Amino acid sequence: MNAVGPDGESPVPGRGRVPVDAIVLRMMLGRQLRRLREAAGITPEEAGDKIRGSRSKISRLETGKTAYKIGDVADLLSLYGVTDKQRRAEVLAMARHANTPDWWRKYSDILPGWFETYLGLEAAASTIRSFEVQFVPALFQTEDYARAVTRLGHKAAPGSEIDDRVSVRLKRQALLSRPEPPVIWSVIDEGVLRRRVGGPAVMRAQLHRLIEAAAMPHVIFQVVPFGLGAHAGAAGSFTVLRFAEQDLPDVIYIEQLTSAIYLEQRVDVEHYLEVINQLSGEALTPAATVRFMEKAAEETL
Amino acid sequence: MTSHEASAPRDARTGPLPFDTSVAHQARIYDYLLGGKDNYTADRAAAEELMQIWPEMIFTARANRAFLGRAVRYLAGEAGIRQFLDIGTGIPTAGNTHQVAQAIAPESRVVYVDYDPIVLAHARALLISGQAGATDYIDADLRDTGTILSQAAKLLDFTQPLAVTLLAILNAISDSDGPYAIVARLLDSVPPGSHLVISHGGSDLLGRQALDGLADVADRRIQQKVVYRTHEQVARFFDGTDLVEPGLVRIEEWRPERGADEKGQSSGWCAVGRKR
Repeated sequence: MNAVGPDGESPVPGRGRVPVDAIVLRMMLGRQLRRLREAAGITPEEAGDKIRGSRSKISRLETGKTAYKIGDVADLLSLYGVTDKQRRAEVLAMARHANTPDWWRKYSDILPGWFETYLGLEAAASTIRSFEVQFVPALFQTEDYARAVTRLGHKAAPGSEIDDRVSVRLKRQALLSRPEPPVIWSVIDEGVLRRRVGGPAVMRAQLHRLIEAAAMPHVIFQVVPFGLGAHAGAAGSFTVLRFAEQDLPDVIYIEQLTSAIYLEQRVDVEHYLEVINQLSGEALTPAATVRFMEKAAEETL
Repeated sequence: MTSHEASAPRDARTGPLPFDTSVAHQARIYDYLLGGKDNYTADRAAAEELMQIWPEMIFTARANRAFLGRAVRYLAGEAGIRQFLDIGTGIPTAGNTHQVAQAIAPESRVVYVDYDPIVLAHARALLISGQAGATDYIDADLRDTGTILSQAAKLLDFTQPLAVTLLAILNAISDSDGPYAIVARLLDSVPPGSHLVISHGGSDLLGRQALDGLADVADRRIQQKVVYRTHEQVARFFDGTDLVEPGLVRIEEWRPERGADEKGQSSGWCAVGRKR
């Protein structure tokens, strides 16, 4: 994940902001609605008519791309023959949750929409795998490191804005200590450990923070040492988000300077999974990684 | 000494791993049957085709995973085993051998063995630890017992009883590869009181037509051979051991735990034997 990008990206003035809610819930709900519709043998056109919309509105609902009106969902359930009270209540509750604002909404003025989407996915994921070539994963950055990275991307920003951006990043880290934290498995290029972001003292503290985090049972780090030469991750940083729900596909997140790409098509996801498995298989083991980080910290003078 | 220091040369690999996702692999098919997401189009296509022929396959896979848990709990508990050689590890999921064993006896040591690169990628990160009850991973083929035994000896003490688990892996060893000799070599290297755990698809639990269909799918779609064996043939693997009650039974019938597992009938045999 590129730290100059995410919470660092400048808002585009006047750009229409689509509020992004719990995106995963929407995706799940959408998938469920689609299954129910197909099971009932109803076409998207027929479903669209029922809620006074078009075929494409149904398609947007079923792919989680738009907010749900509770009334629409209730009408669709009736059309699909879902009469069981309990079942209806579950689906409707999901629709309501999918419209609940999340904590980062109050930072909307500094966060681009695509990054809010990421925060929604990150909060809902059960496993977060990433390959990092540039910066320490945001979930493990110290405040000083995060500040140094944020300044890189926002040289002209006033202090208060930098503070807000740093605090978004630090708030994300609450994920690490929630009751059922996701498994976070980061493959980190050696360059990340050598680049003295914020100067040697900041970097040394950052390395110690990583070593400390590596002791958490749900946190796995693997360094790809320079000695390995060219490797499978040559394409750059990316993140694989996996959700506990069996029918939700993995989502690949790739950040660019002013936007981000989300991939969830099988063929794309499989390609990135192959790359990250390759990287994990070739990188140092977690225990060797900790020793490597300890040595890197000693060498950061 | 941690497992890592014991296996320092394997901390970093040289050269790319031989990933091939275009052909189905047993470990990834199994992952798919267990509801995992570390499988590819080829694996799912093969699994779906197999399920057409053998609808109980999905139950059998789940029953097999549940059996692993019950067998390891028995071994770490009642049988007092503290060392495990888990050959044919598969892609890690909930309730891996070391987690089950170390929940009962934290000092338990586990060496995992598999030869699938995707298993290696996961196991090196998720299964290996240098903690008090240490674990290690060996990248080797079951047929290469020499490598397995010599590398396992870095973590396991072969003068003390240990358990060798071979779950749904002898299915990949055809008769021409000498499966009985492989198991005998493993048993010969462990002291009396050691245990052997096997689960195996049962040819006498599947009809002739199903067996032909499964073999056909395996030939066309799966990298490994798939062999099914009868009750009697599976029992032969346990020569030199005394079978723990209830003996060689269907997978779901081995010491079932109250209400824990889903109901169904598997098409596989399993047993735990204690070396005489």
